[in-house]
Amino acid sequence: MIVSFSSLAVGLIVGYLAQRSRMCTIGGLRDYVLVRDTALLKGVGAMLLGSWVVFGALHPIASSDVGRGLIAAGTTPTGLRAVAAIVLGGLVLGLVATLSGACPLRQHVLAGQGRVGAWAFLAGFYLAAVVYTSWISPSIGSWVI
Amino acid sequence: MTAGTATRQRKSAEGNFGVRTGRWARSAIVYGIVVAVLAGVAGQWLGVSPPAAYGICSACHGRDLSNWILNHSEGARLFVTAAGASWPLLTVVGLVLGSFLASIRNEEFASINLGGNVRQFAFGAVVMCAALFVGGCPTRIIIRTGYGDLAGVLALGGVATGVVIATLSLRWAARR
Repeated sequence: MIVSFSSLAVGLIVGYLAQRSRMCTIGGLRDYVLVRDTALLKGVGAMLLGSWVVFGALHPIASSDVGRGLIAAGTTPTGLRAVAAIVLGGLVLGLVATLSGACPLRQHVLAGQGRVGAWAFLAGFYLAAVVYTSWISPSIGSWVI
Repeated sequence: MTAGTATRQRKSAEGNFGVRTGRWARSAIVYGIVVAVLAGVAGQWLGVSPPAAYGICSACHGRDLSNWILNHSEGARLFVTAAGASWPLLTVVGLVLGSFLASIRNEEFASINLGGNVRQFAFGAVVMCAALFVGGCPTRIIIRTGYGDLAGVLALGGVATGVVIATLSLRWAARR
């Protein structure tokens, strides 16, 4: 039960801040390439550096298995095919997300502030979630890791 | 001249707590740090794990929520991660609600239809499939990279390349 409340609270905080800061994870690189604007790119860098520090600090505090070493256990892709599949999947993700205008998290934020196109995006998003787990994922399950 | 006025405005806002926190909330750097801390805290102490570095993700949590609803209403047996198996993960609901509250509070809420909604629908479907394939939306890919996930690093490189290709091709198409 705590999972539902905590994830709802985390979503509320992140959604509020994302709406105020207009933050978009792919928007940083897009703005830099287009107009050399680094405001959002700094946010991405802060998120990357911040999560590195947070997970590094969690390891001694919580004495769990998070953040052990530079590369976490069980995350290494097996073989060249898995590496190529992950890079190609990321490439498609970045490509199509840029064409649609924003990263998935930003689309949720845009939907909250009344953009109709974002609601259309989310409709396809959640339909594809069910389609992916029902039919696509079982047939390619062993590709990644 | 403009710099002078901007500095004076900032000094006058120094005493006002609400204005100052409002300016902090508009900073992308603050957003990045808050997301990183919340992802770590939610994954470690608030139960949003077993998958490591699972604190915030719009694609995976959305998948968990939609599959949880289908499992409990239609009796389907779709995959849900261990974190969201018994009780649903409501991060995506919180995201939409939070941005709705922020836009209402700051009088930015407006129903805008830019057109091309069928195209956006198709883009959404492709983005979800690609995101679930690489294991997270761009936000979680960044968090996983900070966690030390080698697959996350590879996916982040792929996403960056894809963004650059798409931006350059969009600019090329606009200039023709």
